[in-house]
Amino acid sequence: MTKRRIEIGLLYSRSGSYSLISEACRSGALAAIAELNADPDLDLSFVPVERDPGGNADAYGTLCDEILSQTGARHVIGCVTSWSRKEVIPTLERHGATLWYAVPYEGWEASDHVVYTHACPNQHLLPLLDWVMPAHGRRAYLTGSNYIWGWEMNRLARERITQAGGEILGERYLPIGSRDVGRMVDEIRASRPDFVLNSLIGPSSYEFLAAYRDLGRADPDFAPSRRPVLSCNMTECELPALGTAAEGLVAAGPYFRGIDGWPGKGRFGSSHEAAAHVAVHELARLLAHRPGAELLPLSQLLAEAGGGIVDPETHHTVLPALIARVEGGAFRLVHRREAVAGDPYLTRTSQSPATPTLRVVS
Amino acid sequence: MRRPIRIPTLGGARAVILHRPHPTVQALLRQLTAIGLEVTQSWPELAADALGADYVFFDADMGHDGMFPWPAGEPPMPMIALIGSEAPGRVEWSLRAGSHAQLLKPVGDNGAYSALLIARDAFDAQKALSAEIADLKRRLDGRQTVVRAVTLLAARGKTEEQAYAQLRQMAMAWRISFEDAAARIVASRDDRTGDAQDV
Repeated sequence: MTKRRIEIGLLYSRSGSYSLISEACRSGALAAIAELNADPDLDLSFVPVERDPGGNADAYGTLCDEILSQTGARHVIGCVTSWSRKEVIPTLERHGATLWYAVPYEGWEASDHVVYTHACPNQHLLPLLDWVMPAHGRRAYLTGSNYIWGWEMNRLARERITQAGGEILGERYLPIGSRDVGRMVDEIRASRPDFVLNSLIGPSSYEFLAAYRDLGRADPDFAPSRRPVLSCNMTECELPALGTAAEGLVAAGPYFRGIDGWPGKGRFGSSHEAAAHVAVHELARLLAHRPGAELLPLSQLLAEAGGGIVDPETHHTVLPALIARVEGGAFRLVHRREAVAGDPYLTRTSQSPATPTLRVVS
Repeated sequence: MRRPIRIPTLGGARAVILHRPHPTVQALLRQLTAIGLEVTQSWPELAADALGADYVFFDADMGHDGMFPWPAGEPPMPMIALIGSEAPGRVEWSLRAGSHAQLLKPVGDNGAYSALLIARDAFDAQKALSAEIADLKRRLDGRQTVVRAVTLLAARGKTEEQAYAQLRQMAMAWRISFEDAAARIVASRDDRTGDAQDV
Protein backbone atom coordinates (compact mmCIF):
# COMPACT_ATOMS: atom_id res chain seq x y z
CA MET A 1 0.00 0.00 0.00
CA THR A 2 1.32 3.45 -0.87
CA LYS A 3 2.08 5.35 2.25
CA ARG A 4 1.32 9.06 2.77
CA ARG A 5 4.31 10.65 4.44
CA ILE A 6 3.03 12.71 7.36
CA GLU A 7 5.37 14.86 9.41
CA ILE A 8 4.80 14.89 13.18
CA GLY A 9 6.63 16.98 15.74
CA LEU A 10 8.58 15.60 18.70
CA LEU A 11 9.23 18.22 21.38
CA TYR A 12 11.17 16.60 24.22
CA SER A 13 14.08 17.94 26.28
CA ARG A 14 16.99 15.54 25.95
CA SER A 15 18.94 17.32 28.66
CA GLY A 16 17.98 19.20 31.81
CA SER A 17 16.38 18.22 35.09
CA TYR A 18 13.62 15.91 33.82
CA SER A 19 15.40 14.35 30.82
CA LEU A 20 14.84 10.76 32.02
CA ILE A 21 11.08 11.26 31.65
CA SER A 22 11.56 12.97 28.27
CA GLU A 23 13.67 10.08 27.03
CA ALA A 24 11.06 7.54 28.16
CA CYS A 25 8.30 9.40 26.31
CA ARG A 26 10.48 9.91 23.28
CA SER A 27 11.40 6.26 23.00
CA GLY A 28 7.73 5.26 23.34
CA ALA A 29 6.82 7.65 20.51
CA LEU A 30 9.70 6.55 18.28
CA ALA A 31 8.92 2.86 18.84
CA ALA A 32 5.31 3.49 17.81
CA ILE A 33 6.43 5.41 14.73
CA ALA A 34 8.72 2.53 13.73
CA GLU A 35 5.89 -0.01 14.16
CA LEU A 36 3.42 2.05 12.13
CA ASN A 37 5.93 2.76 9.37
CA ALA A 38 6.60 -0.97 9.04
CA ASP A 39 2.89 -1.84 8.89
CA PRO A 40 2.11 -2.79 5.28
CA ASP A 41 -1.66 -2.38 5.76
CA LEU A 42 -1.42 1.23 6.84
CA ASP A 43 -1.60 3.98 4.21
CA LEU A 44 0.61 6.38 6.11
CA SER A 45 4.08 6.75 7.53
CA PHE A 46 5.17 9.26 10.13
CA VAL A 47 8.26 11.41 9.66
CA PRO A 48 9.41 12.74 13.05
CA VAL A 49 10.49 16.38 13.17
CA GLU A 50 12.45 16.86 16.39
CA ARG A 51 13.29 19.91 18.44
CA ASP A 52 15.07 19.84 21.82
CA PRO A 53 14.25 22.65 24.29
CA GLY A 54 17.02 21.41 26.61
CA GLY A 55 14.87 21.70 29.73
CA ASN A 56 14.32 25.45 29.22
CA ALA A 57 10.60 26.22 29.64
CA ASP A 58 10.88 29.42 27.59
CA ALA A 59 12.22 27.54 24.56
CA TYR A 60 9.12 25.39 24.12
CA GLY A 61 6.85 28.03 22.58
CA THR A 62 9.48 29.11 20.07
CA LEU A 63 10.48 25.59 19.06
CA CYS A 64 6.86 24.47 18.78
CA ASP A 65 6.24 27.45 16.51
CA GLU A 66 9.29 26.44 14.47
CA ILE A 67 7.92 22.91 13.96
CA LEU A 68 4.50 24.23 12.95
CA SER A 69 5.80 27.04 10.71
CA GLN A 70 8.70 25.33 8.97
CA THR A 71 7.26 21.86 8.39
CA GLY A 72 3.90 20.38 7.51
CA ALA A 73 3.46 18.89 10.98
CA ARG A 74 0.12 19.65 12.66
CA HIS A 75 0.52 17.19 15.54
CA VAL A 76 3.25 17.42 18.13
CA ILE A 77 4.07 14.72 20.68
CA GLY A 78 5.87 16.33 23.58
CA CYS A 79 6.24 18.38 26.76
CA VAL A 80 6.88 16.96 30.22
CA THR A 81 6.21 19.76 32.71
CA SER A 82 2.84 21.51 32.89
CA TRP A 83 4.76 24.74 32.67
CA SER A 84 6.04 23.85 29.19
CA ARG A 85 2.63 22.56 28.11
CA LYS A 86 0.99 25.83 29.05
CA GLU A 87 3.75 27.65 27.11
CA VAL A 88 2.91 25.87 23.84
CA ILE A 89 -0.90 26.06 23.96
CA PRO A 90 -1.14 29.61 22.52
CA THR A 91 1.16 28.52 19.67
CA LEU A 92 -0.98 25.45 18.98
CA GLU A 93 -4.09 27.59 18.99
CA ARG A 94 -2.58 29.99 16.47
CA HIS A 95 -1.72 27.16 14.08
CA GLY A 96 -4.81 25.02 14.67
CA ALA A 97 -2.41 22.28 15.79
CA THR A 98 -2.51 19.57 18.45
CA LEU A 99 -0.22 18.50 21.30
CA TRP A 100 -0.26 14.89 22.48
CA TYR A 101 0.77 15.02 26.13
CA ALA A 102 1.93 11.74 27.67
CA VAL A 103 2.77 12.65 31.27
CA PRO A 104 0.69 12.65 34.48
CA TYR A 105 -0.40 16.17 35.38
CA GLU A 106 -2.41 18.11 37.97
CA GLY A 107 -5.68 18.54 36.03
CA TRP A 108 -7.86 21.66 35.62
CA GLU A 109 -7.26 21.84 31.92
CA ALA A 110 -9.10 20.54 28.86
CA SER A 111 -7.62 22.41 25.93
CA ASP A 112 -9.21 22.06 22.52
CA HIS A 113 -5.65 21.60 21.24
CA VAL A 114 -4.29 18.98 23.61
CA VAL A 115 -4.86 15.24 24.05
CA TYR A 116 -3.93 13.96 27.52
CA THR A 117 -2.94 10.28 27.36
CA HIS A 118 -1.56 9.93 30.89
CA ALA A 119 -3.38 10.28 34.22
CA CYS A 120 -4.92 13.30 35.98
CA PRO A 121 -5.71 13.48 39.76
CA ASN A 122 -8.84 11.30 39.81
CA GLN A 123 -6.62 8.64 38.21
CA HIS A 124 -3.55 9.08 40.42
CA LEU A 125 -3.66 11.32 43.51
CA LEU A 126 -7.17 10.59 44.76
CA PRO A 127 -6.88 6.78 44.55
CA LEU A 128 -3.47 7.05 46.21
CA LEU A 129 -4.85 9.09 49.13
CA ASP A 130 -7.85 6.76 49.43
CA TRP A 131 -5.39 3.89 49.82
CA VAL A 132 -2.81 5.51 52.09
CA MET A 133 -5.05 7.06 54.74
CA PRO A 134 -6.64 3.81 55.96
CA ALA A 135 -3.32 1.97 55.56
CA HIS A 136 -0.91 4.42 57.22
CA GLY A 137 -2.82 7.29 58.77
CA ARG A 138 -3.97 10.81 58.00
CA ARG A 139 -1.08 12.99 59.11
CA ALA A 140 0.73 14.18 55.99
CA TYR A 141 3.76 16.18 54.96
CA LEU A 142 3.63 17.75 51.48
CA THR A 143 6.61 18.53 49.26
CA GLY A 144 6.83 19.84 45.72
CA SER A 145 8.81 21.65 43.08
CA ASN A 146 7.98 25.30 42.79
CA TYR A 147 5.54 25.33 39.88
CA ILE A 148 1.97 24.41 39.06
CA TRP A 149 2.35 20.61 39.41
CA GLY A 150 3.53 20.74 43.02
CA TRP A 151 1.25 23.61 44.02
CA GLU A 152 -1.97 22.16 42.66
CA MET A 153 -1.25 18.56 43.72
CA ASN A 154 -0.61 19.72 47.26
CA ARG A 155 -3.66 22.01 47.29
CA LEU A 156 -5.89 19.09 46.29
CA ALA A 157 -4.14 16.74 48.73
CA ARG A 158 -4.64 19.25 51.56
CA GLU A 159 -8.33 19.56 50.70
CA ARG A 160 -8.89 15.79 50.58
CA ILE A 161 -6.82 14.96 53.65
CA THR A 162 -8.46 17.60 55.84
CA GLN A 163 -11.94 16.59 54.55
CA ALA A 164 -11.11 13.06 55.68
CA GLY A 165 -10.26 14.33 59.16
CA GLY A 166 -6.49 14.33 58.59
CA GLU A 167 -3.86 16.92 59.22
CA ILE A 168 -1.10 18.62 57.18
CA LEU A 169 2.04 18.81 59.31
CA GLY A 170 4.10 20.77 56.82
CA GLU A 171 4.33 21.89 53.21
CA ARG A 172 7.55 22.94 51.53
CA TYR A 173 8.73 23.70 47.98
CA LEU A 174 12.07 23.80 46.17
CA PRO A 175 12.96 25.58 42.92
CA ILE A 176 13.22 23.11 40.00
CA GLY A 177 16.74 21.64 40.03
CA SER A 178 17.48 22.57 43.67
CA ARG A 179 19.01 19.90 45.90
CA ASP A 180 18.47 21.84 49.09
CA VAL A 181 16.36 19.23 50.88
CA GLY A 182 17.84 19.56 54.39
CA ARG A 183 15.06 21.66 55.85
CA MET A 184 12.31 19.37 54.54
CA VAL A 185 13.99 16.36 56.06
CA ASP A 186 14.47 18.18 59.39
CA GLU A 187 10.79 19.12 59.47
CA ILE A 188 9.75 15.56 58.66
CA ARG A 189 12.02 14.19 61.38
CA ALA A 190 10.49 16.61 63.87
CA SER A 191 6.83 16.16 62.88
CA ARG A 192 6.78 12.38 62.15
CA PRO A 193 4.04 12.36 59.47
CA ASP A 194 2.24 9.10 58.58
CA PHE A 195 3.28 9.67 54.97
CA VAL A 196 5.04 12.20 52.72
CA LEU A 197 3.53 13.25 49.39
CA ASN A 198 6.45 13.92 47.07
CA SER A 199 5.66 16.20 44.10
CA LEU A 200 9.27 17.18 43.59
CA ILE A 201 10.72 16.52 40.16
CA GLY A 202 14.16 15.55 38.84
CA PRO A 203 17.29 16.09 40.97
CA SER A 204 15.28 17.60 43.87
CA SER A 205 13.28 14.41 44.09
CA TYR A 206 16.37 12.18 43.81
CA GLU A 207 18.14 14.12 46.54
CA PHE A 208 15.10 14.07 48.80
CA LEU A 209 14.57 10.32 48.44
CA ALA A 210 18.25 9.64 49.16
CA ALA A 211 18.09 11.81 52.29
CA TYR A 212 14.88 10.10 53.43
CA ARG A 213 16.48 6.68 52.91
CA ASP A 214 19.40 7.81 55.12
CA LEU A 215 16.96 9.05 57.75
CA GLY A 216 15.20 5.67 57.70
CA ARG A 217 18.51 3.88 58.16
CA ALA A 218 19.45 6.09 61.09
CA ASP A 219 16.02 5.86 62.74
CA PRO A 220 13.85 2.81 61.95
CA ASP A 221 10.78 4.86 62.87
CA PHE A 222 11.21 6.45 59.41
CA ALA A 223 11.40 3.14 57.54
CA PRO A 224 9.37 3.46 54.31
CA SER A 225 7.20 0.53 55.39
CA ARG A 226 6.11 2.65 58.34
CA ARG A 227 6.06 6.21 56.92
CA PRO A 228 6.14 5.87 53.13
CA VAL A 229 6.92 8.52 50.52
CA LEU A 230 4.19 8.73 47.87
CA SER A 231 4.50 9.87 44.29
CA CYS A 232 2.15 10.37 41.35
CA ASN A 233 4.82 10.72 38.69
CA MET A 234 7.54 8.23 39.63
CA THR A 235 7.97 5.42 37.11
CA GLU A 236 10.61 2.86 36.14
CA CYS A 237 12.34 5.43 33.94
CA GLU A 238 13.75 7.25 36.98
CA LEU A 239 14.67 4.20 39.08
CA PRO A 240 18.25 4.08 37.70
CA ALA A 241 18.84 7.61 39.02
CA LEU A 242 17.55 6.60 42.46
CA GLY A 243 19.16 3.24 43.14
CA THR A 244 18.36 2.04 46.66
CA ALA A 245 16.78 5.39 47.55
CA ALA A 246 13.66 4.26 45.68
CA GLU A 247 13.09 1.21 47.90
CA GLY A 248 9.74 1.42 49.66
CA LEU A 249 8.48 4.35 47.56
CA VAL A 250 4.76 4.01 46.74
CA ALA A 251 3.60 5.36 43.39
CA ALA A 252 0.28 5.61 41.57
CA GLY A 253 0.13 5.22 37.81
CA PRO A 254 -1.81 3.60 34.98
CA TYR A 255 0.93 1.09 34.18
CA PHE A 256 3.88 -0.54 35.88
CA ARG A 257 6.22 -2.96 34.18
CA GLY A 258 4.99 -6.53 34.45
CA ILE A 259 1.60 -5.58 35.94
CA ASP A 260 -1.58 -6.03 33.87
CA GLY A 261 -4.14 -3.32 33.36
CA TRP A 262 -2.84 -0.94 30.70
CA PRO A 263 -5.67 -0.64 28.17
CA GLY A 264 -3.47 -0.92 25.06
CA LYS A 265 -1.34 -3.75 23.81
CA GLY A 266 2.38 -4.06 24.32
CA ARG A 267 5.03 -4.19 27.00
CA PHE A 268 6.71 -0.96 27.97
CA GLY A 269 9.56 0.26 30.11
CA SER A 270 7.28 2.65 31.99
CA SER A 271 3.88 4.35 31.85
CA HIS A 272 5.55 7.41 30.28
CA GLU A 273 6.69 5.23 27.41
CA ALA A 274 3.27 3.56 27.20
CA ALA A 275 1.37 6.86 27.14
CA ALA A 276 3.53 8.32 24.34
CA HIS A 277 3.27 5.05 22.42
CA VAL A 278 -0.52 4.96 22.62
CA ALA A 279 -0.68 8.63 21.60
CA VAL A 280 1.13 7.98 18.32
CA HIS A 281 -1.00 4.89 17.63
CA GLU A 282 -4.23 6.77 18.30
CA LEU A 283 -3.10 9.57 15.99
CA ALA A 284 -2.41 7.00 13.27
CA ARG A 285 -5.87 5.49 13.79
CA LEU A 286 -7.47 8.92 13.39
CA LEU A 287 -5.55 9.66 10.17
CA ALA A 288 -5.47 6.22 8.54
CA HIS A 289 -7.23 5.89 5.18
CA ARG A 290 -8.40 9.49 5.34
CA PRO A 291 -6.15 11.52 3.01
CA GLY A 292 -6.02 15.16 4.10
CA ALA A 293 -7.16 14.38 7.65
CA GLU A 294 -3.69 15.33 8.89
CA LEU A 295 -4.63 18.99 8.28
CA LEU A 296 -7.87 18.92 10.26
CA PRO A 297 -8.17 20.50 13.69
CA LEU A 298 -8.40 18.01 16.53
CA SER A 299 -12.09 18.65 17.29
CA GLN A 300 -13.09 17.82 13.72
CA LEU A 301 -10.74 14.86 13.57
CA LEU A 302 -12.32 13.35 16.69
CA ALA A 303 -15.88 14.13 15.64
CA GLU A 304 -15.50 12.57 12.20
CA ALA A 305 -13.50 9.49 13.19
CA GLY A 306 -15.58 8.47 16.21
CA GLY A 307 -14.61 5.78 18.68
CA GLY A 308 -11.06 5.59 19.94
CA ILE A 309 -9.59 6.32 23.33
CA VAL A 310 -9.99 10.12 23.46
CA ASP A 311 -13.04 11.53 25.24
CA PRO A 312 -14.35 14.16 22.78
CA GLU A 313 -15.39 16.52 25.61
CA THR A 314 -12.30 16.48 27.81
CA HIS A 315 -9.63 14.93 25.51
CA HIS A 316 -8.60 12.67 28.39
CA THR A 317 -8.56 8.86 28.38
CA VAL A 318 -9.84 5.96 30.48
CA LEU A 319 -7.05 4.56 32.67
CA PRO A 320 -6.74 2.19 35.63
CA ALA A 321 -5.17 3.44 38.86
CA LEU A 322 -2.48 1.06 40.01
CA ILE A 323 -0.71 1.60 43.29
CA ALA A 324 2.69 -0.05 43.50
CA ARG A 325 5.66 -0.15 45.86
CA VAL A 326 9.32 -0.36 44.85
CA GLU A 327 10.76 -3.62 46.15
CA GLY A 328 14.10 -4.95 44.97
CA GLY A 329 14.35 -2.33 42.24
CA ALA A 330 10.94 -2.98 40.66
CA PHE A 331 7.36 -1.91 41.27
CA ARG A 332 5.13 -4.54 42.98
CA LEU A 333 1.36 -4.08 42.91
CA VAL A 334 -0.17 -3.04 46.23
CA HIS A 335 -3.66 -2.02 45.19
CA ARG A 336 -5.62 -1.75 41.98
CA ARG A 337 -8.53 0.49 41.16
CA GLU A 338 -10.51 -0.26 38.00
CA ALA A 339 -10.16 1.96 34.95
CA VAL A 340 -11.90 5.31 35.20
CA ALA A 341 -12.32 8.18 32.75
CA GLY A 342 -10.03 11.15 33.23
CA ASP A 343 -12.02 13.85 35.05
CA PRO A 344 -9.80 16.94 34.88
CA TYR A 345 -12.18 19.27 36.77
CA LEU A 346 -13.35 16.59 39.23
CA THR A 347 -16.92 17.30 38.16
CA ARG A 348 -17.95 14.06 36.46
CA THR A 349 -17.32 11.21 38.80
CA SER A 350 -18.33 10.71 42.37
CA GLN A 351 -15.35 12.06 44.27
CA SER A 352 -16.29 11.32 47.83
CA PRO A 353 -13.18 11.46 49.97
CA ALA A 354 -12.23 8.64 52.28
CA THR A 355 -14.49 8.93 55.30
CA PRO A 356 -12.94 9.25 58.73
CA THR A 357 -13.08 6.01 60.67
CA LEU A 358 -12.98 5.50 64.40
CA ARG A 359 -9.76 4.28 65.86
CA VAL A 360 -9.40 2.15 68.95
CA VAL A 361 -7.64 4.13 71.63
CA SER A 362 -6.01 1.98 74.28
CA MET B 1 -8.05 38.72 56.17
CA ARG B 2 -9.66 37.33 53.07
CA ARG B 3 -11.54 34.09 53.50
CA PRO B 4 -10.30 31.10 51.43
CA ILE B 5 -12.06 30.60 48.12
CA ARG B 6 -14.74 27.94 48.02
CA ILE B 7 -14.43 25.78 44.90
CA PRO B 8 -18.03 25.58 43.65
CA THR B 9 -19.62 22.32 42.53
CA LEU B 10 -19.58 22.67 38.76
CA GLY B 11 -20.48 19.12 37.69
CA GLY B 12 -24.04 19.30 36.36
CA ALA B 13 -24.30 23.04 37.12
CA ARG B 14 -26.43 24.97 34.59
CA ALA B 15 -25.06 27.82 32.53
CA VAL B 16 -26.94 29.99 30.05
CA ILE B 17 -25.12 31.89 27.31
CA LEU B 18 -27.08 34.97 26.32
CA HIS B 19 -25.50 35.75 22.97
CA ARG B 20 -26.48 35.49 19.33
CA PRO B 21 -25.19 32.34 17.54
CA HIS B 22 -21.47 32.98 16.97
CA PRO B 23 -18.11 31.13 17.03
CA THR B 24 -17.54 32.70 20.46
CA VAL B 25 -20.60 30.81 21.72
CA GLN B 26 -19.22 27.57 20.24
CA ALA B 27 -15.84 28.08 21.92
CA LEU B 28 -17.44 28.91 25.26
CA LEU B 29 -19.85 26.00 24.96
CA ARG B 30 -16.90 23.65 24.38
CA GLN B 31 -15.04 24.96 27.42
CA LEU B 32 -18.07 24.78 29.71
CA THR B 33 -19.00 21.28 28.52
CA ALA B 34 -15.42 20.11 29.10
CA ILE B 35 -15.62 21.48 32.64
CA GLY B 36 -18.82 19.50 33.16
CA LEU B 37 -21.63 22.09 33.03
CA GLU B 38 -24.96 21.77 31.22
CA VAL B 39 -25.20 24.67 28.81
CA THR B 40 -28.03 26.31 26.89
CA GLN B 41 -27.89 29.28 24.55
CA SER B 42 -30.49 32.01 24.46
CA TRP B 43 -31.04 35.17 22.36
CA PRO B 44 -32.18 37.95 22.30
CA GLU B 45 -33.65 37.50 25.77
CA LEU B 46 -33.22 35.04 28.57
CA ALA B 47 -35.86 32.33 28.52
CA ALA B 48 -37.92 32.02 31.71
CA ASP B 49 -36.07 28.87 32.78
CA ALA B 50 -32.87 30.95 32.98
CA LEU B 51 -34.05 31.91 36.48
CA GLY B 52 -32.96 28.44 37.55
CA ALA B 53 -29.50 28.75 36.02
CA ASP B 54 -26.37 28.70 38.17
CA TYR B 55 -24.39 31.03 35.89
CA VAL B 56 -25.28 33.48 33.12
CA PHE B 57 -22.81 34.56 30.42
CA PHE B 58 -24.15 37.60 28.58
CA ASP B 59 -23.16 39.68 25.56
CA ALA B 60 -21.91 43.05 26.75
CA ASP B 61 -21.70 44.43 23.18
CA MET B 62 -25.35 44.16 22.18
CA GLY B 63 -26.79 43.98 25.67
CA HIS B 64 -29.57 46.17 27.08
CA ASP B 65 -31.47 46.27 30.38
CA GLY B 66 -34.58 44.55 29.05
CA MET B 67 -32.79 41.32 28.30
CA PHE B 68 -32.85 40.04 31.89
CA PRO B 69 -36.04 38.88 33.66
CA TRP B 70 -35.03 40.59 36.94
CA PRO B 71 -34.62 44.19 38.16
CA ALA B 72 -31.56 45.86 36.62
CA GLY B 73 -28.39 45.06 38.53
CA GLU B 74 -29.98 42.44 40.80
CA PRO B 75 -29.20 39.10 39.19
CA PRO B 76 -30.03 36.06 41.33
CA MET B 77 -26.92 34.23 40.11
CA PRO B 78 -23.32 35.04 39.14
CA MET B 79 -23.06 36.85 35.81
CA ILE B 80 -20.13 36.93 33.41
CA ALA B 81 -19.89 39.63 30.77
CA LEU B 82 -18.67 38.68 27.27
CA ILE B 83 -16.86 41.84 26.24
CA GLY B 84 -15.83 42.63 22.66
CA SER B 85 -15.78 46.43 22.59
CA GLU B 86 -13.76 47.62 25.54
CA ALA B 87 -15.50 51.00 25.36
CA PRO B 88 -16.20 52.74 28.65
CA GLY B 89 -19.94 52.89 27.99
CA ARG B 90 -20.18 49.13 27.44
CA VAL B 91 -18.04 48.32 30.48
CA GLU B 92 -20.19 50.65 32.55
CA TRP B 93 -23.37 49.01 31.30
CA SER B 94 -22.13 45.50 32.05
CA LEU B 95 -21.16 46.56 35.57
CA ARG B 96 -24.60 48.11 36.08
CA ALA B 97 -26.15 44.90 34.76
CA GLY B 98 -24.41 43.23 37.67
CA SER B 99 -21.52 41.34 36.09
CA HIS B 100 -19.22 39.60 38.55
CA ALA B 101 -16.48 38.65 36.08
CA GLN B 102 -15.70 39.04 32.40
CA LEU B 103 -14.33 37.13 29.43
CA LEU B 104 -12.88 38.97 26.46
CA LYS B 105 -14.12 38.11 22.98
CA PRO B 106 -13.17 36.34 20.86
CA VAL B 107 -13.37 33.52 23.37
CA GLY B 108 -10.79 30.86 22.55
CA ASP B 109 -9.42 27.86 24.34
CA ASN B 110 -9.46 29.06 27.94
CA GLY B 111 -10.71 31.56 30.47
CA ALA B 112 -14.09 30.07 31.35
CA TYR B 113 -12.98 28.16 34.45
CA SER B 114 -11.39 31.14 36.18
CA ALA B 115 -14.36 33.34 35.17
CA LEU B 116 -16.73 30.84 36.82
CA LEU B 117 -14.74 30.77 40.05
CA ILE B 118 -14.21 34.53 40.22
CA ALA B 119 -17.88 35.25 39.44
CA ARG B 120 -19.09 32.76 42.06
CA ASP B 121 -16.75 34.20 44.67
CA ALA B 122 -17.75 37.80 43.91
CA PHE B 123 -21.45 36.89 43.90
CA ASP B 124 -21.21 35.09 47.25
CA ALA B 125 -19.16 37.92 48.76
CA GLN B 126 -21.70 40.48 47.53
CA LYS B 127 -24.60 38.49 48.94
CA ALA B 128 -22.90 38.04 52.31
CA LEU B 129 -22.05 41.75 52.47
CA SER B 130 -25.61 42.79 51.57
CA ALA B 131 -26.99 40.58 54.33
CA GLU B 132 -24.48 41.97 56.81
CA ILE B 133 -25.27 45.56 55.83
CA ALA B 134 -29.03 44.95 56.13
CA ASP B 135 -28.49 43.52 59.60
CA LEU B 136 -26.28 46.43 60.69
CA LYS B 137 -28.81 48.90 59.30
CA ARG B 138 -31.60 47.24 61.24
CA ARG B 139 -29.55 47.40 64.41
CA LEU B 140 -28.64 51.01 63.77
CA ASP B 141 -32.31 51.84 63.33
CA GLY B 142 -32.99 50.11 66.67
CA ARG B 143 -30.44 52.20 68.54
CA GLN B 144 -32.97 54.82 69.66
CA THR B 145 -35.32 52.09 70.86
CA VAL B 146 -32.51 50.54 72.91
CA VAL B 147 -31.84 53.89 74.59
CA ARG B 148 -35.55 54.27 75.42
CA ALA B 149 -35.81 50.73 76.79
CA VAL B 150 -32.74 51.20 79.01
CA THR B 151 -34.14 54.48 80.26
CA LEU B 152 -37.49 52.82 81.08
CA LEU B 153 -35.77 50.03 83.01
CA ALA B 154 -33.48 52.46 84.80
CA ALA B 155 -36.46 54.52 85.87
CA ARG B 156 -37.15 51.83 88.49
CA GLY B 157 -34.08 52.59 90.52
CA LYS B 158 -31.47 50.68 88.53
CA THR B 159 -28.22 52.11 87.29
CA GLU B 160 -27.87 52.42 83.54
CA GLU B 161 -25.39 49.53 83.56
CA GLN B 162 -27.78 47.25 85.51
CA ALA B 163 -30.64 48.17 83.17
CA TYR B 164 -28.50 47.34 80.20
CA ALA B 165 -27.58 43.93 81.70
CA GLN B 166 -31.24 43.25 82.47
CA LEU B 167 -32.20 44.00 78.88
CA ARG B 168 -29.53 41.59 77.65
CA GLN B 169 -30.85 38.85 79.97
CA MET B 170 -34.39 39.42 78.71
CA ALA B 171 -33.24 39.13 75.11
CA MET B 172 -31.52 35.85 75.97
CA ALA B 173 -34.52 34.52 77.86
CA TRP B 174 -36.87 35.42 75.04
CA ARG B 175 -34.37 34.13 72.45
CA ILE B 176 -34.60 37.28 70.38
CA SER B 177 -32.09 39.96 69.46
CA PHE B 178 -31.14 42.76 71.83
CA GLU B 179 -32.84 45.30 69.59
CA ASP B 180 -36.03 43.25 69.35
CA ALA B 181 -36.15 42.90 73.14
CA ALA B 182 -35.80 46.67 73.47
CA ALA B 183 -38.62 47.17 70.97
CA ARG B 184 -40.84 44.78 72.97
CA ILE B 185 -40.25 46.68 76.22
CA VAL B 186 -40.89 50.05 74.63
CA ALA B 187 -44.05 48.74 72.93
CA SER B 188 -45.48 47.22 76.13
CA ARG B 189 -44.82 50.45 78.01
CA ASP B 190 -46.54 52.49 75.27
CA ASP B 191 -49.53 50.08 75.33
CA ARG B 192 -49.99 50.26 79.04
CA THR B 193 -49.66 54.04 79.16
CA GLY B 194 -47.99 54.22 82.52
CA ASP B 195 -49.49 51.11 84.16
CA ALA B 196 -47.20 49.74 86.86
CA GLN B 197 -47.06 46.14 85.58
CA ASP B 198 -43.61 44.68 85.43
CA VAL B 199 -42.19 43.79 82.10
